[in-house]
Amino acid sequence: MTNAVVMHGLTKDYGSGHGLFNLDLEVAEGEVFGFLGPNGAGKTTAIRLLMGVIHASAGAATVFGLDCDREAVAVKREVGYLPGELPQFGGMRGSEVVAYLGGMRGGIDSSRVKELSERLELDLGRRFREYSRGNKQKLGLVLAFMHRPRLLILDEPTSGLDPLNQQTFQRLVGETRAAGGTVFLSSHVLSEVEETCSRVGIIREGRLVSDMTMDKVHELRFHEVVIEFRGDVPEAAVRAAAGVETVAVEGSRLTCTVHGGFDPLLAAISGHTVTDMVSREPSLESIFLSYYSK
Amino acid sequence: MSPRLLLRLHRIGLIAMVYFGIFYVLVNSAAFPIIAGKTRAAQEAFGRSITVLGAQFSWLLPSPIRPDTAAGYLQWRGYGFFAILFAAWGLFSACGAVRRDEDRGLVESWLSSGIPRLRLLVSRSVFFAMLSAEIVFLTGAAGWLGCLIAGTPTQVAGLVGESVALWGLTLACFGIGLLVAQMAADFRSAASAGSVVLVAMFLLDSIGRSSIHRAPFTDISVFSLFNQSKSVAPGGTFDVAATIVLFGIGAIATVAASAAFVRRDIGAGLIRTRRRRAPEVHEVSSNPLLRTPVLRGLWIRRVGALGWTAGLAVTAASVVLLVNITATFFASTPTLSPYLRGLPGDVQTVLLALIWLSFAQALVAIFAITSVSRWSSEDSSGVLEMELAEPIPRWGVLAERAAELVVTLTIMSFVATAVILALAPAEAIPLDVGKMLSAAALLLPFGLTIAGVGALLAGWRPRVAVVTLSTVTVISYLVFELGPLFKWPNWADNLSVFQLYGTPLITPVFVGGLIAMLVIVAVGFGSAGVVLARRDVAA
Repeated sequence: MTNAVVMHGLTKDYGSGHGLFNLDLEVAEGEVFGFLGPNGAGKTTAIRLLMGVIHASAGAATVFGLDCDREAVAVKREVGYLPGELPQFGGMRGSEVVAYLGGMRGGIDSSRVKELSERLELDLGRRFREYSRGNKQKLGLVLAFMHRPRLLILDEPTSGLDPLNQQTFQRLVGETRAAGGTVFLSSHVLSEVEETCSRVGIIREGRLVSDMTMDKVHELRFHEVVIEFRGDVPEAAVRAAAGVETVAVEGSRLTCTVHGGFDPLLAAISGHTVTDMVSREPSLESIFLSYYSK
Repeated sequence: MSPRLLLRLHRIGLIAMVYFGIFYVLVNSAAFPIIAGKTRAAQEAFGRSITVLGAQFSWLLPSPIRPDTAAGYLQWRGYGFFAILFAAWGLFSACGAVRRDEDRGLVESWLSSGIPRLRLLVSRSVFFAMLSAEIVFLTGAAGWLGCLIAGTPTQVAGLVGESVALWGLTLACFGIGLLVAQMAADFRSAASAGSVVLVAMFLLDSIGRSSIHRAPFTDISVFSLFNQSKSVAPGGTFDVAATIVLFGIGAIATVAASAAFVRRDIGAGLIRTRRRRAPEVHEVSSNPLLRTPVLRGLWIRRVGALGWTAGLAVTAASVVLLVNITATFFASTPTLSPYLRGLPGDVQTVLLALIWLSFAQALVAIFAITSVSRWSSEDSSGVLEMELAEPIPRWGVLAERAAELVVTLTIMSFVATAVILALAPAEAIPLDVGKMLSAAALLLPFGLTIAGVGALLAGWRPRVAVVTLSTVTVISYLVFELGPLFKWPNWADNLSVFQLYGTPLITPVFVGGLIAMLVIVAVGFGSAGVVLARRDVAA
């Protein structure tokens, strides 16, 4: 499988520790890659480097083998782009914005625009200044998807969308992937990535701290367990059990987190009377926060 | 709200008023002996000419009082014009304070931070009152200094009285602007409605001034109330009652605007029209112009381009109609008549050339600056980033901008030229069609010269491009206008980009200037292309 996106030693140094540093990343064709990180981590910087809007301080990035800086025009023929924030188009109608930017690309698939605007329930007859934040985001999605690009680069794509339109977006991404397209999206919402991506990269303070498949992300999952005992609490045995962490005891209640299987924990509490036991699977957000705090 | 933020919000108006208020009055009063002559006889003759000219312009300015003195001339030329200038400043500042900041989401943001609505409006009004007071009284001080330089000191009390009246007019218009802006739904509507109110009051005053019998309703016009005071001119008076009424109008309008602001929805006007339910549209616009390079930009900005074309055409028509009046004025003024004798060619043609090309150059320069301003804002607003997300090269964007400018400038200059050629025969002004077309064609490299420098600045430092370009252009224009007046050396005159245009209606095309302009255009846009290609967009 060929790579749709390759970043090698990609650096954009804004000074004072801000920017993106030495990013090495590959996204295979047909993959849906989620680029995760909190605000200011460097996600948008990486995306803008891919789009050739800003120039790298060091390193290079390619899209389908084309250099993002030197061959920016050729790169953009293959790419559909949604920026983090759509600019103001004032009194222009949605239909005119599509014609204007689509006209720059050359050739607009009118039926595709119609299909997308209907699915996203976007009225293209209204003026841009009348659009709500969500409608502006929908217009941005129409602009990104309308020419069926080989690669979609989307910066915070579900920002401002209601849950129904988020589902529509997820279906659109699924269809793109099914058709062989590649998606590179940034987000700081893990649940969004969980629904759409096959692989994630976690970025923090301009550096890639992890790059893993969603299966591996799921492997990182842990359970939060609360056990109520009658009589003695086997705290020492539980603390000694493999995979058990953050043990705390309050009266007859023991709480802990369990990584991997439950057998070591069950072995540790065997012989004690358990009156209640609850196991909760934390959200990806919690996994993410846990990962970040390390 | 901090004074620093408030100052920042009013910075454009402030800069404009310093340029066109303080500087204008200083130059006009200081230059009085040069224009009117140094002897008493020459000044009296000048005064008689101005009186005749003033009668012909009574629809625009109040009749002059003692224009044979620097103070009288300042009253007519300075404060007559300032009524329009300061009224417009007050009105548009108010519309901007209410509507433009609301359109940008600033008002919502301030209110959500816990500032009460009433306090917000009061703080904006009080700050503007303080700022306008400073500008008005500094303008008065500049007038006093100018008269002192001219060797004919004026009375401080008269200048103070006139300044108070001008301040009252400014605040009255600010209050009216605040009130009108509460009714409208956005800045454009507010500014348009406010302009209609202002023009209506100006016309009311103008009609009242030009008519033999003063109509009773004339006094509801703020311009009429302001013109009751003429205390700068020797023998002029300060009308206390009319000035109090001006302040009263400002206060009442501000209170009414505050009440409306407290009651209405943010983002909506007090007067709301019910929106018709239109069927949803899911089709892309079929307009072929939006898909065609250069034409798409022209289509999107068609209203502005038409406005500029109409403005230049109206200016051209006004200039044609003014030529004979000005010729008479020059001929009857001893200090000015020698200028006519030394001119090459027919007097009317020369005057048309001097007046028209001066206006045309100034307007084309302003148009070029507004274009550069748009290019800069497209960068910071993200429009350029969206355009560059499409498969077009950066130099392509620059080339399209330049081409759009060429087309718009061509339309503007040739439509205005057509208007002059159509009206000139009726005024018996002999014109050479070939020279007129040359003059129109030369406006293209002239406008592109300023735009080329602007493109380089916008490509390099978009945030400071407009301020830098405006400053350079204004200084260049002042050098061009004042150099001959104060008999500055040739090398100083030649620093002005306006000088490069030459005087194509009365002398052969200034080839050296044309070549210099073309070089600046090529270097400017060429360098802009290089700089833009290397620079991070929206960074």
